Amino acid sequence: MPDAAVISQIRLFQRTPGVAIVLVLLIGLFGAIAPGFLSAANLANVLVQSTILTMLALPMTLIIMTEGLDLSMGAVLTLTSLCVAIVSLATKSALLGLGAAVLVGAAFGTVNGWLVAIVGIPPFVATLATLGIAQGLSLIMSDGQSVVGIPHSVRDIYSAAVLSVPVPIIIGLASYGVFHGLLYHTRFGTYVFALGGNREALRYAGLSPTRLLIAVYAIGGTMVGVAGLLMTARMNSGHPTAGLGLEFDAIAAVAVGGTSFERGNGWLLGTVLGVIAVGVLRNGLNLVSLPSSIQVASVGALVIVALFLDGFRSRS
Amino acid sequence: MSVASPIAAPSPAPLLELRGISKEFPGVKALDDVSFAIHPGEVHMLLGENGAGKSSLMKILCGAYCADTGEFYYKGAKVAITSIADAQKLGIAVIFQEFSLVPFLDIAQNIFLGREPKGRLPGTIDRRKILADARRVLDTIGFDIDPSVIVDTLGVAQQQMVEIAKAISQNARILVMDEPTAALSDREAELLFALIARLKADGVAIVYISHRIAEVFALGDRITVLRDGRRIDNLRPADVTPDQLVRMMVGRNVDMTYPRHFAERPGELLLEVKGLSSTTGISDINIEVRRGEIVGLCGLVGSGRTEVARAIFGADSILEGEIIFDGQPVSGEPDIAARRGIALIPESRKSEGLALMRSVGDNLVVSALKKLFPSGLYDPRAAQRTADGLIRQLRIATPNARQTVGLLSGGNQQKVVIGKWLAAGAKLFIFDEPTRGIDIGAKAEIFALIDRLVAEGAAALMISSEQIEICHVCDRAYVMREGRVAGHLTRSELTEENIVRLGMHDA
Amino acid sequence: MTDLIKETLSPPRSILSQNASQAFYRLLAALLICAALTLLSDSFLSLGNILNVLRQASLTFFIASGLTLVVLTAGLDLSVGANVALSACLAGTVIHQTGSPALGILTGLVVGGVVGFLNGFMVTALRIPSFIATYGMLWVLNGVTYWYMAGETVHGFPAGFRQIGSGYFLGLPVPVYLLLIFLAIGSLFAQRTIWGQEIYAIGANPVAARLSGIPVTRRLLLVYTVSGTMAGIASIIFLARLNSAEADIGESLTLPAIAAVLIGGASLFGGIGTVFGTFIGASILTLVLNGMNLLSISANWQPLVTGIIVIVAVWLDMKTRRSAQ
Repeated sequence: MPDAAVISQIRLFQRTPGVAIVLVLLIGLFGAIAPGFLSAANLANVLVQSTILTMLALPMTLIIMTEGLDLSMGAVLTLTSLCVAIVSLATKSALLGLGAAVLVGAAFGTVNGWLVAIVGIPPFVATLATLGIAQGLSLIMSDGQSVVGIPHSVRDIYSAAVLSVPVPIIIGLASYGVFHGLLYHTRFGTYVFALGGNREALRYAGLSPTRLLIAVYAIGGTMVGVAGLLMTARMNSGHPTAGLGLEFDAIAAVAVGGTSFERGNGWLLGTVLGVIAVGVLRNGLNLVSLPSSIQVASVGALVIVALFLDGFRSRS
Repeated sequence: MSVASPIAAPSPAPLLELRGISKEFPGVKALDDVSFAIHPGEVHMLLGENGAGKSSLMKILCGAYCADTGEFYYKGAKVAITSIADAQKLGIAVIFQEFSLVPFLDIAQNIFLGREPKGRLPGTIDRRKILADARRVLDTIGFDIDPSVIVDTLGVAQQQMVEIAKAISQNARILVMDEPTAALSDREAELLFALIARLKADGVAIVYISHRIAEVFALGDRITVLRDGRRIDNLRPADVTPDQLVRMMVGRNVDMTYPRHFAERPGELLLEVKGLSSTTGISDINIEVRRGEIVGLCGLVGSGRTEVARAIFGADSILEGEIIFDGQPVSGEPDIAARRGIALIPESRKSEGLALMRSVGDNLVVSALKKLFPSGLYDPRAAQRTADGLIRQLRIATPNARQTVGLLSGGNQQKVVIGKWLAAGAKLFIFDEPTRGIDIGAKAEIFALIDRLVAEGAAALMISSEQIEICHVCDRAYVMREGRVAGHLTRSELTEENIVRLGMHDA
Repeated sequence: MTDLIKETLSPPRSILSQNASQAFYRLLAALLICAALTLLSDSFLSLGNILNVLRQASLTFFIASGLTLVVLTAGLDLSVGANVALSACLAGTVIHQTGSPALGILTGLVVGGVVGFLNGFMVTALRIPSFIATYGMLWVLNGVTYWYMAGETVHGFPAGFRQIGSGYFLGLPVPVYLLLIFLAIGSLFAQRTIWGQEIYAIGANPVAARLSGIPVTRRLLLVYTVSGTMAGIASIIFLARLNSAEADIGESLTLPAIAAVLIGGASLFGGIGTVFGTFIGASILTLVLNGMNLLSISANWQPLVTGIIVIVAVWLDMKTRRSAQ
């Protein structure tokens, strides 16, 4: 039985289900023009490929709900993916690789949160700077080269299946479950709504917005660390530019999914639909043989449209 | 509206008593030796004009401000209220006009923010318990609504109910309400009054701040009238008439005389506002201002005075109506109005009138750049000469034009704002509370300046909450109420009582 | 005499005078870096290297000077690098196809300017926060550029055109002359025109600026258009110096430009900063990167160092603002 909080969350957004319409339109469009788009294999492929993005977009939703932004996610993903590659190559252990990646990711997230919450640097500048730092570290660690020959134990994570459900989809679903629980069923989640909605209310209730804000960014970094493992597994290598720009798709998915940049109005399910919309858009354009450059541009256009709609909705 | 009952006799010992509270801000004595007592099960009305000290008193009561002197007694025992936490411990809660709610959480989560019941897993919330608890609190105030409804979907009246529920859930025994009916419809207000009656019956003490005379008699068990930071009287509704109350609020202040040279006969028509409505809630405004006149625009805070000023200046969008300035219609952004010769001296000069971190000189020439430098090339020395001229002319107390304007006193900052429009050659000056936060000496200087401006052929539209200033300085005045012009007062009709009477809701 | 007393009695340091002393410290920092590099590397203090530093700084400066105006209005333009890439690729293609450098230069400037104008439109008419609008624009531009170039490189331009980027005149590289010209134009625009004054006023307090009769929307459009056009100019210099253009050239340009503006003392919160400061900022950044190069530190370190510099610069800005309040 879905609980009342979730039902009323959904009820609230039922009046503006922009992302569902966008998704249906995209699926209809590509179903009509892209050969093989609607095949079960292709649709499963879209979902599998959306896993990493889901893992970035879920914490990005929380960050955007606090009226923040994390531009460093793509670069930190690259770095954590390299960590997985290098550590697992040296130790032959996927678990140690994951551990290193999570540590590095969480460290970057904490630094982002510290710069935003305590130093007071606007989030987009703070995370742009840490983007540079992460990118630099990636180049230095890899010396600009791919890291290859990583153990099978890592690669298999991406291609394995449990009861014929691909592992990435299971991880994606599990991530959603964790974030759903976190945002809608814990005290912390309640306070995330308050961080963007009314910080004064938090202070009045005797809670520290600063610490909560750092925690939100740190959670983002940790998820990026876990995603780093999947990234390396998917590419079967570590590459110094692998994840660059993925934060843009994450922001796009969150924005398309109906999370507002103001007043702490977030919707996790919308974000997941947004992730799938971005995945469908890229996959469909790919199937009709349009280059990845067009995909980037159309995702960009999607964001601007979504932001415009967002501003339009909140003004009316 | 028959809540007030003679049966609710106060118990002999007051729940909370304030004795000799004083609070001083730089330049203003906000509260001067104010005492009053709050009894359980009693609605205590706090009455006074804008700036009489009501909000300062309220903030001291809830611990947001610290009183300079004075004592608090809770159930007869001396206590200290120096923080919000202190006040909360004593069961004092304030329902502010801006709510402290989180828009995208539900009612239950808002009521128990920071005090959520723990669930089975660490960090989780016991959803069933929080809903049941919220249900119980909502029941006690008779608010029949599903506690899992998101607050953002509620109307103002319902959000206010949630605020009250939040206060009650913290075991508040003293509720302070700041003009709670300001944003409510009559029907919603009825519901609130019913709730107040219920809370009274439960022994909750209520401090109720209001402008509405009718409410005072419908709700109040006791009335405290404040004026100029002082307690004027403390009485029961039965012992007083509405007229007497108005007179107490207005008072017979010291006779202030501001220099004013009234013109023999009014000059030509400069501004004509016809049927103006704007997106900010004013409707069907008709105003005329002639050269050589100072026209007052009065009414309570929130009656739409500032909105009229902003609409004339182009700062808010106009829905209907026409503004004719100097014979030609004017519409559009403020830059167009400014170019035509309209000037706005906004109420909050720090946030809207000045660039505080820039210099006095920069601020003085900012509106006149095009006039001073028609070629588009800026000459710092010429700008400095203009600024120096204005500093001398207006006697702005600053070491030089390079001084950061944020470091000047309020009166001198106001002169800088006026000076920038002098430099721009404005013909109509719209003043929004020109003397707020300015000491007496500077006030007289500002009024002398306005008098000189209109004597030289300009005109002024002046918003002020200080009725006495309007009465002394203005040729005539419009009084606003709830977004409309409620009346017009000629020079001979211009008295404080007339202004208050016209501006009061259902008085 | 009384004036002197008044001045000594008045609170001594306004935000602006603090800013002036900061500018002094920035110059000092630049000199210290120079001294350190002279000691560490034999080749630093050669004329060739100094000119090289100035030439490298010029590219960052062109982008950063337009960006300075945007930052003065408390905005940010994250699309400048991508704008340079698109402008360079289109300009390069036009030169290739028409053989006319003049047409190519015009293309670069117009493309840059139009992109800037679109940014300004999103910020003013659509009221999207500048960093989000220009971030979206960054990816749209990237997409368009990659699609247009389809993995190709455009290269090989007329020798006359290449002089703009790599030529010498009276012993100095041509970009250095251009740098000085635009430094003068930019400084004059910001300090000696009424538009410049209005831009400072908007940055210091946008609400007060609007209520002082400044046409804020039009000025913001101007500022973003100028920023875009400067990116167009940078793209021409880039094209002329490298004699080629590909879709990915913009990726490493935005962060250094932002760093130069912030090191130069401009405040992210608007109203404070100068074009000359940005020149100093671009020089300091280039000195650091050049020094790393001379000390054979891999270029891979550059984004890391730039990121740290940005954080330190903003942190200093926050500190001065806080202590001034």
